Amino acid sequence: MDAIKEAINSFCSPVAIFTTAIFMFALFMAFPKQMTNKWVAGAIGLGVVGFFIFGMQDAHFKDIVGKADNLPIVGMIFIFGYFTWFAMKKAVENDERIAAGQPTWEKTESEEKVLVFPYLIYIEFVIALLYAAALVYWAILVQAPLEDPANPTLSPNPSKAPWYFLGLQEMLVYFDPWLAGVLFPTVIIVGLCAIPYIDNDPKTSGYYCFKQRRWAITAFMFGFWILWLVLIMVGTFLRGPNWNFFGPFEVWTAHKVVPLINVNLSEFFYIKWLGIALPQNWFIRELPGFAALFIYFILIPKALERTVFKKLYERIGAARYHILIALTFMMIALPLKMYFRWAFNLKYIIAIPEFFFNI
Amino acid sequence: MPSKLPILYNLKKTHFWFAVASVILLIGLVWMVFKDSSREWKGYQRRFMAYMEQKAENELQEAQKAVDQKQLEKLNADLEAAKKAVAENAKAIKTAKGEFEQATFKADNAKANFQNLKQFQDSDKYFYEEHRVAGEIEQAQSYWDKIQKREVELEQAKLELEQKQAEMDAKKAALGTWTAKETELEREIARLTRDITTVESKIKKYKATLAKEILNAPMLDFINPSLRIQQIVVENLHEDYFFAKAEKVDRCVTCHLGIDKAGLEDAPVPFNTHPRLDLFLSANSPHPMEEFGCTSCHSGSGHSVSFTTAAHTPRNEQQAEEWKKKYHWEEMHHWADKMLPMQYTEASCAKCHQGTVEVPEAPKLNEGRKLAETYGCFGCHKVEGFERWKVGPGLEHVQSKLEPDWIVRWLQNPKDFRSSTKMPQIFHLSNTSDPASMEKSNAAIAGIAAYLMKHSAPVVLEEPPVKGDPAKGQELIETIGCLGCHTVGGNAANHHGPELSGLGSKVKADWLYSWLKDPKHYYAKTRMPNLRLSDQEASDITSYLLQDKNEKFESTRAPYVKPEAVHDLALVFMTGRMRYEDAEKELEKMSYEDQLQLVGEKTIAHQGCFGCHDIAGFEDAKKIGTELSFEGSKDLSKFDFGHVHEIEHSRHAWIFQKLKQPRIFDRDRVKPYHEKFKMPWFGFTDEQAEAVTTFVLSLQKQDIPLKMQKVLSESEQETEAGRLLVSKFNCNGCHTVDGHEGKVRSIIEDLGNAPPVLTGEGAKVREAWLYHFLDQPVTIRPWLKYRMPTFGFVHEELTTLVSFFDHLSNMKTNYIGDEMPVTSQEKMEAGQQLFEMFQCMKCHKSNPDPALSASFLAPDLVMAKHRLRSDWIVDWVYDPQALQEGTMMPGFFPDGQTYLEDVLGGDARTQIEAIRDYLMVFEPGKEKEEKPVQDHPAQQ
Repeated sequence: MDAIKEAINSFCSPVAIFTTAIFMFALFMAFPKQMTNKWVAGAIGLGVVGFFIFGMQDAHFKDIVGKADNLPIVGMIFIFGYFTWFAMKKAVENDERIAAGQPTWEKTESEEKVLVFPYLIYIEFVIALLYAAALVYWAILVQAPLEDPANPTLSPNPSKAPWYFLGLQEMLVYFDPWLAGVLFPTVIIVGLCAIPYIDNDPKTSGYYCFKQRRWAITAFMFGFWILWLVLIMVGTFLRGPNWNFFGPFEVWTAHKVVPLINVNLSEFFYIKWLGIALPQNWFIRELPGFAALFIYFILIPKALERTVFKKLYERIGAARYHILIALTFMMIALPLKMYFRWAFNLKYIIAIPEFFFNI
Repeated sequence: MPSKLPILYNLKKTHFWFAVASVILLIGLVWMVFKDSSREWKGYQRRFMAYMEQKAENELQEAQKAVDQKQLEKLNADLEAAKKAVAENAKAIKTAKGEFEQATFKADNAKANFQNLKQFQDSDKYFYEEHRVAGEIEQAQSYWDKIQKREVELEQAKLELEQKQAEMDAKKAALGTWTAKETELEREIARLTRDITTVESKIKKYKATLAKEILNAPMLDFINPSLRIQQIVVENLHEDYFFAKAEKVDRCVTCHLGIDKAGLEDAPVPFNTHPRLDLFLSANSPHPMEEFGCTSCHSGSGHSVSFTTAAHTPRNEQQAEEWKKKYHWEEMHHWADKMLPMQYTEASCAKCHQGTVEVPEAPKLNEGRKLAETYGCFGCHKVEGFERWKVGPGLEHVQSKLEPDWIVRWLQNPKDFRSSTKMPQIFHLSNTSDPASMEKSNAAIAGIAAYLMKHSAPVVLEEPPVKGDPAKGQELIETIGCLGCHTVGGNAANHHGPELSGLGSKVKADWLYSWLKDPKHYYAKTRMPNLRLSDQEASDITSYLLQDKNEKFESTRAPYVKPEAVHDLALVFMTGRMRYEDAEKELEKMSYEDQLQLVGEKTIAHQGCFGCHDIAGFEDAKKIGTELSFEGSKDLSKFDFGHVHEIEHSRHAWIFQKLKQPRIFDRDRVKPYHEKFKMPWFGFTDEQAEAVTTFVLSLQKQDIPLKMQKVLSESEQETEAGRLLVSKFNCNGCHTVDGHEGKVRSIIEDLGNAPPVLTGEGAKVREAWLYHFLDQPVTIRPWLKYRMPTFGFVHEELTTLVSFFDHLSNMKTNYIGDEMPVTSQEKMEAGQQLFEMFQCMKCHKSNPDPALSASFLAPDLVMAKHRLRSDWIVDWVYDPQALQEGTMMPGFFPDGQTYLEDVLGGDARTQIEAIRDYLMVFEPGKEKEEKPVQDHPAQQ
């Protein structure tokens, strides 16, 4: 038992979890039919439930997962898992119907008509009762997680953002606060607002489907599951005091010390590769970083525009293409930077402490 | 509307789920209401009521027993008879009653009539005044007319009313005559059974009834429940929630229902009475419950009404286990201000009682303060309000006293030389007992010895000029006052100075002799006073003390010190402020001796030896310890428990553990030698550690409003300054003073030989005399072998002590002295006559009669005129026992009467005054002339 826990603890690290999540995600997107099969999906679901049951035997795991504040996050895993499965399942069914020349599932269903009462209102009412009952039982069984009176001179350790911001807080590990705390949230909101304007194709609206919108769905689901939900789960269950990473069965102690050995790109470039001292002038010093960003955000999109994405470019036009590419590349930049950190201990691509500008 | 709707889905399933959902929700709601209303505290209140009911039942039996049954029976029989008599006259009584009712009706009518009229009249008066002021003469006039007219009616109505009331009273009296006997008997019975009635009403109050249960039921309990939360709102104290301050609200009394009620001392917890109602809670105690609440002293969460959330803290593990079983107790992690465990409650006294040497009625806190002072805690730790002296001997001349080899062996573990020493163990403790650390420690010790030898100046020492006699030395020690501070041999009345043991293995005769002759010669700031020993006496004592050797200690050898260890340690100290290579180069240039000096100097700085000892080169060194001014309110997260998990995670447990094992929190830690914890080990017992913990817990940051604090007046501040000196110089070691029994009294058989009791000293002696006496003591009681030592007080200390004694006796300090009383020749002569008649000189002699036992001897009366206050002499002669209980001074004026009726008209007070007046000039020719005492030091 302890050996298993030990093994899980030592396996768990941000990179392992992130990579596993990406792998599962890729599997799901590559083989939607197989993965939504009730046996496979059931096995995954049972696996997760089994893991929680196994984990709850451990006092520490139980303490963290059973915390009144964290219960909704546990619920979130199952609820989002279920709805993702459900949507994908319907999409796969519809894909098959379309391939066979049949109308979609939604189309068949929408041709039938029933009365609002009793067939809708009544069922909704019963659901509302159950929902109310669930809230009452929850309130009785789990006490409100009240803590010490707020003390401005004493921050709790770990200090955690509200659960829905934990993804952003997790990004703070890898990015400068102005990026993780200001730019990314803005871009996420603006980007979500921009989706209907970038993709204004009315095709496939009104029914579940996957094949016809493979890339759009994959991109969105990647952002939602990997860059948002997984980071929230990591932030909730695996980040302990001092925001250190802890395995699920590891005791949270504020005294854990981990080495901080990250270096900037400029140091890689000048000290490690060229073997010379860092230039005094910040612009020259950070030139490699500027160059890297220029290549990533300007040259590569330009090259793609003429080669792989030529058709796309022609179809949606220059304005949409550039917005789409900028948003997409920003989104990809996030895991990329994280992997650079894990692989090379890269701290910042551009680091200008002279005026607090770091990327 | 179509008569039949098409059925598209079968709704039966939905009905089923509707039913299920409704039942689930209903159960949930019932559960919710039940859970909300079933509270822990209600159970306590029910139990309290049951307990009180039971108690009242017992009281009822007692009360019933107490009633005189015979008398009661007789009264009842009489009552019966009276009732019969009334029944026989039923008809007449009925008529009388009817008449009375009729009269009452008429009186009521008259009253209503009168009151109506008066209402109109008052209203009209108002309008009349308004109109008149507004200048509306006409309207005013019309109201005035009305008023005039009604005034007559009103007069009449009043007369009518009075008449009707008189009639009514008459009828009532008439009716009363019929039932007078009955009423009187009933009253008599009630008086006889009053106690029973009281207890019965008590029972009714506590008895559980259905009506009460209904009023306590959920949803109905807003009307008038018998179970309700009790609370004390403390107006002047506030709960600090960081962003807001709220009035302190203590609901402890919701369960501790009998805490302020006398008579429940034996009730089960939590219904029992507070153990000190005289000090706390009761209305005439210094800390009434309404003004102080509960949590201001006990801490905890006053708002909470459950055992766990009130943040109760068990006194030990065992109690914690018991509570877990009994009350499902768990620690409240989220409440910083947890209740203080019972053994530390006194820490709270210091919240309001500050600036005093002792807090009244707080023995443990006082003990902790005293220990902290004695063991020199303030030498390393800054604590606001506790500036103290260095407790160890000065080492500025130590080369004249000790051998370096002795210092090395002593520092290994001072308690090996003398188990009672206050010097703590600094080296070779749990975190430095590995071979590598011991090597470094030994190097450090060698360095200290080397540094002290080099950086101390020699003093001129004198060999004992005569041969000492150890037996005489022992006798001197036991009789002249050494025991007032030191423990010697088996005589352990005092532990103020070091125990005088093993001196033969420590110092040489020349040092000890010179020290005894004049301690300040060796160490100017020493607290050791001068006992004005003669050469012979000092030699005797020296020879006695040097006899005692510590064989075991003498057999120890200083450990071998590796030169590399010295080098390595020097390197560690040097790399702290320079680069490694530079340090190496620097060290190469130094000789081994220089390296040793460096290690010594740095170790003294590192370990803070100068906190207790004066050491040359460390005159301005800063204290090395953590400031403890607010340690009692320091956040728990700031205490480093390290890997020590077996103790409770609390402030008090940490402090206690630190005192018991100062290095424990280094356990299982990887740390370089010079970064390890360095607090030394004092060898505190559990009781001592608990007392010091109480003291440390009492050091809190507080914002108690000034009016809730004990603010010291100017005279109280002066008294406290005196108390501090009394503590510093251990006056209490010999004298009974300030309410503390003199400690040597416990080992003196004949208390007539004990140093005098100083209770009431301020009222007794004159300031000028006391000032000079404390400065240069003279013999007052010639038969006493105990000597008042010469402390070498400075002027400030002398005036402080004089004021201190004055304040203790409620006297105003006045160095000029009271005026000489006006006297007459007649009084003088009578005084002399009485003086001789009472044989004053039999006891009050400067060369006492050896035949008299010590307790019959009294101070030399020659000094009285300089020494004593004239008023005091009168009070003293008038009734000595009133001023000093148990004194052998006879009372010549029992009950203020004199038996000498022919002297001065037989007036006791005048006679006493005459004695006093004679004393003021008394100077027997054969008595040796005493050095005259100057009277006005203030003018100097």
